Order: sequence, then structure tokens, then C-alpha cells
Amino acid sequence: MDVPATAAPLLSEAETLRFRRMTVIWGITVLLLLPILAALGYFMRLYQSAAFPKVKPEWFYAVLTLHSLGMVGTWFVGSMAGVSYLLLKYTRPSLAVSKFNYWGTLLGVVLLIVCTLGGLFGTGWYFLYPLPLYSQHIWSPLTTFTFFVALAILGICWTIWTLDILRAIAQRYSLAAALGWNYLVGKPGTEVPPLVLITTVTLIVAVSGFVAAVIVIALFAARALGVNVDALLMKNLTFFFGHVLVNITMYLGVAMVYELLPTYAGRPWKTNRVVAIAWDAVLFLILFAYFHHLYMDFAQPTWVQKFGQICSYLLSVPAGVVSIFGTLLLVYASKMKWTFASMLFFLGIMGWGVGGIAAVIDSTVAVNFHFHNTLWVPAHFHTYYLMGVVLIVLGFIDHVGKELSGLPENPLRSKWTVALLLIGGYGFVSMFYWAGAHSVPRRYAVYPLEVAQGTLYARVAVGFITVLLAGILLYLWETGKRCLKALASI
Amino acid sequence: MRFEETSVGFPGVKQRMRFLSLSLVGWFACLMLILAGTLQAQQSFGTPSNEPPNEDRFVYKQVPDIEIETTSGSQTSLAAFWQQKPVLLTMIFTRCAGVCSPFLHSLRSATSDAGGLGNDYRVLVLSFDPKDTISDMQIMADSIGVKSDPGWTFGITSPADIRRLAAASGFWFQWDSSIQQYDHPSLVVAIDRGRVIRMLAGATVPATSLRQVVQELRGKFVASYAMAGKVAFRCFEYDPQSGRYSLDWGVLLMLLPATGSILATMWAFFFSSQWRPPARVILHDGGALPPFPTGYRSVGFVPLSGTEDNAQPDLAGIYAPTAVRPIKIREER
Repeated sequence: MDVPATAAPLLSEAETLRFRRMTVIWGITVLLLLPILAALGYFMRLYQSAAFPKVKPEWFYAVLTLHSLGMVGTWFVGSMAGVSYLLLKYTRPSLAVSKFNYWGTLLGVVLLIVCTLGGLFGTGWYFLYPLPLYSQHIWSPLTTFTFFVALAILGICWTIWTLDILRAIAQRYSLAAALGWNYLVGKPGTEVPPLVLITTVTLIVAVSGFVAAVIVIALFAARALGVNVDALLMKNLTFFFGHVLVNITMYLGVAMVYELLPTYAGRPWKTNRVVAIAWDAVLFLILFAYFHHLYMDFAQPTWVQKFGQICSYLLSVPAGVVSIFGTLLLVYASKMKWTFASMLFFLGIMGWGVGGIAAVIDSTVAVNFHFHNTLWVPAHFHTYYLMGVVLIVLGFIDHVGKELSGLPENPLRSKWTVALLLIGGYGFVSMFYWAGAHSVPRRYAVYPLEVAQGTLYARVAVGFITVLLAGILLYLWETGKRCLKALASI
Repeated sequence: MRFEETSVGFPGVKQRMRFLSLSLVGWFACLMLILAGTLQAQQSFGTPSNEPPNEDRFVYKQVPDIEIETTSGSQTSLAAFWQQKPVLLTMIFTRCAGVCSPFLHSLRSATSDAGGLGNDYRVLVLSFDPKDTISDMQIMADSIGVKSDPGWTFGITSPADIRRLAAASGFWFQWDSSIQQYDHPSLVVAIDRGRVIRMLAGATVPATSLRQVVQELRGKFVASYAMAGKVAFRCFEYDPQSGRYSLDWGVLLMLLPATGSILATMWAFFFSSQWRPPARVILHDGGALPPFPTGYRSVGFVPLSGTEDNAQPDLAGIYAPTAVRPIKIREER
């Protein structure tokens, strides 16, 4: 297999240092946001435990909105920063674009905080049409406007970032090479690392998600001008955007594992025919898998729902099964160096698998009829997020922190941190699963008598979240030190 | 005394007084009866509203079984109707100078358009006016032109029963003595096996809406309903008559995200300006590097480790010659 002839897209030493510094700044920002956003989640489960009877439910929904959008955004930018950094080995992304994104993202986040905690905007991340326009006097029209401005800023920044990385990949690889098409036909050609292949697929998909978000915002604006908009169309576009954003974050995390885990396993993890087929299939399947969010929308034609179920099933095979088996094969009988970062990478991929299984169960129409509005849904997405991509990004930040600071890790503290994250994390999501299987509805601030058992499950979950937070704080202490030293030394 | 004698002893005064008293009592009783009758005749029920009854509050609610006297002279019950076939129920009063008659005409036209009347469902028209009699309802049926149509039934029921029925469907009626008319909404309630399936409110019955209702009464699932006002960019249009979907303009918007992806990919891979490193010649103290194989460019950036004087090329991933000696890199543009 040939290597690309052009080579040369690497940065000068000074540029590399600036890029490393930017990556560490992204990492520290993620580490600062993590405990704040986790505390918001803690507040919600406490609220559902009836711990704050005097606090108005409006606060619950405002916090729900900030927690969900904040978490999705944080891990997206975290994984984008990670992938950009790792791609330096192969391509030359723009540092200016990364900086522009940093400030744009901060501005967007500040506006989100203002309109949720300041203006009590409480539609949830999905801001489903026409809810933002019918606030029942809980939030003002100005708050709604601010919310959409925040979304527009984030959308523009992230789209530019996505296009820039695609452009950087395109400078070294042809489209056929970046998508590994030579592997599909079994002919020798340019060797493409899995990181490049997965990132290319992911970012092409990402553009479609951001375009959908732009259309949603435009249609909201049209509604504000008096044009009636089809609610079903809006829901399709909104959930297309949401589904894509969550999935691409996961895929970027997985791309990092493909690149970094081999360095700990001491074995290469190269692109081959199976990997290329798997990730190229994602490019098509992800466009239609989101239909599983609309099973309860009976106005959607039946063939669309069936197609959604098929695509959801198929989507789990290439991305999930191939990557999980690949990870296991890589680690099996290798001289694996089990550090804090490599443990998080491995557990992150496995967590993605666990959450993926729950997601596939829920993407079955017959099951979804029972689970759709229950806590089963937050159960599965918290599993593959918290126990999946979050662990991977935390692993990456630790990896970079160690690499750049030179500070060694304390193996005992690492094991304790991993144990606390696992016990707290899986305990926390298991309460969601248990409650969902017992028909406890989601998005309820206060559980009525009919589902009063939800309060008990929330109280048990609070205990696990406490353990999880202890793990997060221990992680922040350990990795935070390395990141700060790295920042000071660059 | 005289007076007393006269007064007491005057023959016929007692009888007159008794007659007067009895007359007063009688008049009073009659007045009360008339008043009660009038009140009963012009009874009101429910709270008037400018908004039509909210369908969402009543769908799938149980409808009370009530006694009905039909224009054919039979005493039956509402349950007897819905046990045979689904029912489209509407409530009117025959003295109505407003909407009742046009509403029934429009219902007749819509049922004719939807088809299936008599086979799939029946129409039951009940009066909510206690003054209405069977013959009044016959005249009404005649005026609408459905007197001999077996799919249509006109009838009356007791005031108590009509109130129960109204309560179960959000219907209301208020007597307005100034115009001697009832104020009331126009409503068709679709009932299947004793439960409200759909409700159509409005001065007329739109044929499209009734077709959807009839589809539901036939046991077919209706996936979507027309929304009030003009809607831009719908994904699918549902035809209740054929039960089929057709694509609408909104689907084009659904194609835009994927189109955006394709355009962005084309821009990145085919149209964006390709970055090329400055041409560099790799030099070292012993001469040029071994020749690059076919397909490799002989120029390219080779990252260095160490100082420039003591530079070592890192050719991994680019080109790895078997023997690499210390080299220097000089840029040539």
C-alpha cells in the first residue's frame, strides 16, 4: 500500500506548539465545563427526588435545557479538538479556525446560560416546534430570540470548523482515498489511517446536520413572521440534526481511539476492507436512522418507520460492532500498557457498545411504543455518552496532558478514579433503565402519584451520582494538574 | 256593632272572600305552572363560548345511553344505534332561524360526498329543545330532504337526557329571550361503540373533514389531519379517500441537508485551493537522498528533530529510505 505522495502538510515547530497550546486550552475548558454541567444533572435528579419542593418546576426545565445542550456541545467540541490535534500527523488544519471556534463557542455558551438560567428558557435541547414560541409567560420572546442567536452562533462556528478539517484532509487525500474506496475494491492505493477515514465520513455527515439546524432556525423565523410551518417537517429536521450531532460526537471519539489505543497496545490498527465498508456504510445509514425518534408520530408514513428501524439496526453493525470487535482484537493477547488513558479508551468503546445495545432495543418499533416516553431513552443516551464518548475524551485529555507535561500518573489514584467513574456512572444509568422498564416517564420534574416510584429511583440515582462526582473530582485533580503544567510549559 | 253585624252577618261575603282567595291561589298556581313550563321550555345548558368544543377533551370518552323517540314512532335508545353501526350525532332545534337548517344541509351534502351512509354509519339528529315534538322533527327531516332516507333518523329525548348528552360532547345551548332563539354551536359527534371518536364543529361540515371521520368510523387509521390555516412546506399529504400519501414540497427541504453535505464535500475535495508546501530539496553531506520510487514526488517537507545543524529527518509515513544520514533542508521556492 502506498503512502500519499504529497506528504508535507505538517506544521513548523512554532505552529505545532501553538496548536498544542490551543488543544490544551480546549481540554481545560472541557474540564471546567464538566463539573458544572454534571452538577446541573445532579440538581435535576435531586429535584425528581423531591429534594426541592419549594423550587418552581420551571427551573427544572431550564436546567434540563442547559444541561442537555451544554453536554452535547461540550463533548462535540472536545472530540473535535482532539481529532484536530491527532490529525496534525497527517494534515494541516487551521489554527485560526480553531481559535475562532473557541471564542464563538464561548459566546454561544454564555448566551445559552443567559437564556436558560437567566430567562428560564425550558424547551429541552430539542426546542421542538412550536414550543419556543408558546412560553406560557415563563420566558420572554427576547429569551427565545437570544436562544436562537446562540444556536446560530454555535452552528456557524462548528460548520466552519467542520469544513476546515475536511479541507485539511482534502489537501492530502483524494476523496476516494479519504473514504478508503481502494480498500473496497481490493486494489492497492493510498494508505489511509482509520482516523482520517472515520473523520472524513463523520464530518461529511456533520455538515448535513448543521444544514438541518439552519433550516429549522429559518423556519422558526418564518413562523415568527406569520407563516405556518408543518410541525412534522420541523420535528424531522430537528431530530435529524440532534441525532447526527450526537452520533458524530461518538464517531469522533471512536476515531481518536483508533489512533491512540494502538500506541498502548503496541500493535497497529490499520484500515482494511471491513473497516472501510463499515464506515462508508455509516455515510448512508445515518441519514435515515433518525426516523426512530419519530415512531410515535403517526402522521409519518409506515414505510418511513420501517425503513428507520432497518437503518437503525444496520447502523449499529458497521460503526459499533466492527469497532468493538476491533478493540477487543487489538487488546487481546497484546502487551497492553494499561494506563489511565488507555483504560478510559477501552471502557469508552465498551460503554458505547452497552448504550448501543439499549439504543437498538429502543429503535424497534414494537418496543418503542412502550419505551418512547419513558426514562429508558435517557438511560441509553447517557450510557453511550457518559460511559462512552465522555470517557474517551477524558482519556484523550489525560493522554495529551501527560504527553505535554511529562507528569507521570499515580496508578493507584488512576484505578480509584476509574472504579468510581464506573460504579457511579453505571449505577446512575441503571436507575434510568430500571425506571424506564417500569414505565416512569421522562421529562417529568415531579412524579405524580401514578408513577411515584420514580421518586425512589431518582433518590437511588442521586447516591450513584455522588459516587460519580467523586470520580470526576479525582479525575480533575489528577488530569487538571497535568493540563495546567502543560499549558505553562508550552 | 252594626258594622260587625253587617259585616259578619252579610250573606255571601264569606263565599266571595273564599272564592277570591281560591282564585288567587289558582292564578298563582297557574302562573307558577306556566313559569315552570316556560323555564323548562327555554332551558339552557353549558357555558357559551366563542371557541368550538375542544375535541381533545372528549375523544374516547363514553357517551351516555339515553332514551330516544324517533320520527318513525319507535321508542329506542342511543345504545341501540351504536350497537348496530357507528353514529354521526348532531343536536338542533326546529325553530332555529340560524344555523341548524344550513348545517343539516351541509351534513347531507358531506355524507353524500363521503359515501357509506346507511352501510358504514348512520346520522342521528336530536332536538335539544323540549318544545320540539315528533311532528316538528318530521317537518325538519322533510325540509332537509332526508325524510325517507334510512340512513337518517330524527328524534327527541327528555331534557335531562339531552343535558347528559351535551355534557359528554362539550355541546351547550343558551336561551336568548330577546330574540326568542337558542344560542348554540353546530357540532357533529362521531360515536363508535359508545365512545366519541371525532368531533367536527363549525357552521358547515367540510366534505374533506367528514371523509376522514368516515374513514375512522370504517375502522381505518387516519394518519394526518388538515391543519387550520395555510401551512408551508408539508412533508406528506394524506388523501383520506384513497388512504394514500403523496409527497409534498416539504420533502425537498428534507433533502437539503444531504445536498449540503454533497456540496461541502465537493468544495473541500474538488474546488478548495490545494495547499502545496514550498518546494524543498533535501540535501545532505553525502549527496542526494536515494531516488524516490515512481509515483512519489521528489519534493516534500521532512520534519526535523534536533537542531538544524544536527538535523535528523523523520521520514516515517512519507518515505523511508533504507539508510538516512544527517541532512540539511534548504527551501527553494
